[in-house]
Amino acid sequence: MLNILVLGLGQCGNRILDAMNREAFGRGGAFAKYYTRQKFPASVKTIAINTAINDLKGLVDTRAKDRLHVPHLHGVGANRTLGKRVFEDNKEIIMSEIDKRGAFDLIFIITSAAGGSGSSFAPLLVRELKETYTNAPVICITVLPFREEGSIFLQNAAFCLKDIIDEKPTGVLLVDNQYLKKYAGDIKSAYDKINNTTARRLLFLIEALNSEMLMVTDLGDLKTVMNGGIGIGTMGFYEASKDSTIKSAILGSFKPSGLLFPTNVYKEGARAMLIIKGDKKYLNLDLITKTIEELSVEVGQVFKGVLVQRGRPRVLSLFTLNSVPELEKLYAAAAEAIRFERDRQDQSKSQLDSAFSHIEDLEPIY
Amino acid sequence: MNGCRVLMVVVAAALLMLLFPMTAAGVETTNVTIGANGYIVLNNDIYIELLDVGSDMGWSAQVHFYSYQDSVGTKKTLYIGDISTSYTSGSGMTIDVTLDSAFSNGAAFVIESSKKLYVTERHAGKVETEAVTVPKLTITRTIDPNSAEIGQTVKVTLTIKNTGNGTATDIMLDEGTIAKTYKDGCPSEIDDIAAGATERIEYDLKIGDEVQPGMREMPASVLNYESESGVSDSTQSQSNILEIILETVLLPELTISIDPINYVVTCGDDVPMVITITNVGNATSEKVYVKGDLHPGVRLKGGELEPVYESIKPDKSEEYEVTLVADEEGEHVVEMKVMWADEEETAVFEFRAEKSGLEKYYVYIIAAIPILLILLWLIKRRREYSY
Ligand SMILES: Nc1nc2c(ncn2[C@@H]2O[C@H](COP(=O)(O)OP(=O)(O)OP(=O)(O)O)[C@@H](O)[C@H]2O)c(=O)[nH]1
Ligand SMILES: [Mg+2]
Repeated sequence: MLNILVLGLGQCGNRILDAMNREAFGRGGAFAKYYTRQKFPASVKTIAINTAINDLKGLVDTRAKDRLHVPHLHGVGANRTLGKRVFEDNKEIIMSEIDKRGAFDLIFIITSAAGGSGSSFAPLLVRELKETYTNAPVICITVLPFREEGSIFLQNAAFCLKDIIDEKPTGVLLVDNQYLKKYAGDIKSAYDKINNTTARRLLFLIEALNSEMLMVTDLGDLKTVMNGGIGIGTMGFYEASKDSTIKSAILGSFKPSGLLFPTNVYKEGARAMLIIKGDKKYLNLDLITKTIEELSVEVGQVFKGVLVQRGRPRVLSLFTLNSVPELEKLYAAAAEAIRFERDRQDQSKSQLDSAFSHIEDLEPIY
Repeated sequence: MNGCRVLMVVVAAALLMLLFPMTAAGVETTNVTIGANGYIVLNNDIYIELLDVGSDMGWSAQVHFYSYQDSVGTKKTLYIGDISTSYTSGSGMTIDVTLDSAFSNGAAFVIESSKKLYVTERHAGKVETEAVTVPKLTITRTIDPNSAEIGQTVKVTLTIKNTGNGTATDIMLDEGTIAKTYKDGCPSEIDDIAAGATERIEYDLKIGDEVQPGMREMPASVLNYESESGVSDSTQSQSNILEIILETVLLPELTISIDPINYVVTCGDDVPMVITITNVGNATSEKVYVKGDLHPGVRLKGGELEPVYESIKPDKSEEYEVTLVADEEGEHVVEMKVMWADEEETAVFEFRAEKSGLEKYYVYIIAAIPILLILLWLIKRRREYSY
């Protein structure tokens, strides 16, 4: 049994974590928590960490004792500098709370890159966790903002991602709100949809890692995949229709429609892992092997795990990328925004200075 | 010391002064008879003149008292049997005069004074030597005791008093009677009774076996008598009530009681029961047995249910406690019997046993437990997930 730690940071991270906790109740609906226990496919410990107590209160399926309020009343207001200081001030509390949950084989950190709390805590946590749990891979699930959310969020995302990469986690998996906007018309249901999707895929992965599989993939494979390319990747997913072949299911999981971040896997993929679940009758191992061999030519090393499970074939793909043009665009936009902001600030400053210059030599007369 | 002696002397003197008038209070008495319109002079000072003698409303004498220094004096009418009449002369001598007897032409007086009395002068009226004498009898009757049992004897006392001034003769007693009682020593003729004399007659009254018990009235005693001059008269006593009581038989009589009665208890609980046996009779009861009858469903838990007492004295009680337990629901009866000589008395203790509180709500409790557990569980879960 794998011991897995999932940390949800900031509002976004908290919510995705809550979605995972909800998924762990199975198909019980809203009242499941009153009559059943969460069933994670492994030994999963979750902690929702936030500076905003209201965000923690908004959670539904996460135990109260798994919600950690880092005292800085109502969030840090997207201020990463402040966020970092709050983290340093409360490091002991956070780490001891994590420590209480024992040892871990794998750690996920879920956060948005754009906010204040989550985005500032994440890189620092990566550092702390790597120090404390030397053997556990640390994978960051990083949510990118809607591009129209404003320059501060863009800047934050840019610097956060850089800070995270600088701390060298095992890997970063991107979830792009902007790309996934297509899921729903309004923000609220888009969030829910994105959160659920992300949660489900993480659990799918965890289940596979913890199971006896027909074709084996494991934590070592995951590490290798995550180490590929620039250490940044994302996930894809496909659920096959009844009479499609396993091959089309596998290929489906590479399609842009199933990805959490816009990328051309065939072009940019460095390494991949495929996890295939379904009724045994669908699982033609020869066909699977053959398909994956073909894929490897374009995508690079592809690890696979096959899990016999009731239902139609479902395939989760997990990549690291060699290049990320979308990210470059994001950074360009961020830089643009920063520059624009600074110019504006300078302008306002000089305007105020010239206003003040009117009374430069004067004294008030009463 | 000196003061003490002085005090003693003073006290002694005071005591002597108290005693002196008593020793000096010698009373001189003299009897005088004065004829109508005659008078006497006492100690050369007081004149007593008999003005008239009357006989309506009892015998009376009209008297005029006067003296040398009180020539007007006072006129008084004296009656036989009245208290004395006082007169004080002008020189300060006091006499007390009572009318002793009166005749048609004169009267006899008793005169008292603190001084020795002398008749110093007598002026005769016409005094009739023969007085008119009238006897007057009264009779009272007492019965002692005035309540008695059949077969007993009571004492009846008759007191006959002659309050007249003549001897009563030919006295016949007609004593009242209560049916079936017997007089022993009750005279029917009584000896003559002189004026002022009192005769006492006692006799026994035996209460015969057939007398009806209850309050019986004994009719008045009637006296018929004559004066010496042959005038007859009669008087009677009050009637008396004699209570006749049934003969008391000495027998023990036991009662038995159970405390508390009419109790509502819970099955399986202790039911304490105090049994009291009292001898309300007037004789000691020997060998008293108590028998208890417990119906099915009730059992003895503690104490001795059927004790035996060697004896119970009159007005004494024996009390003992037992503890019962009702195993079955419903009405239960406990019968306790006390037996002595050939007699017995029974007391009954009824109580109702109800299902134990727990048993009554058993179904509900059983039903409530899972609901409660679920509720607790829900609350616990809710709290686990509320922050
Ligand atoms: N996918 C997804 N994104 C979210 C959700 N909530 C917020 N976000 C995104 O997260 C970013 C804002 O970061 P938050 O997580 O709200 O900020 P935080 O970490 O709580 O930091 P502060 O509130 O500034 O202290 C924005 O880009 C939002 O679009 C959510 O439920 N799902
Ligand atoms: Mg927040």
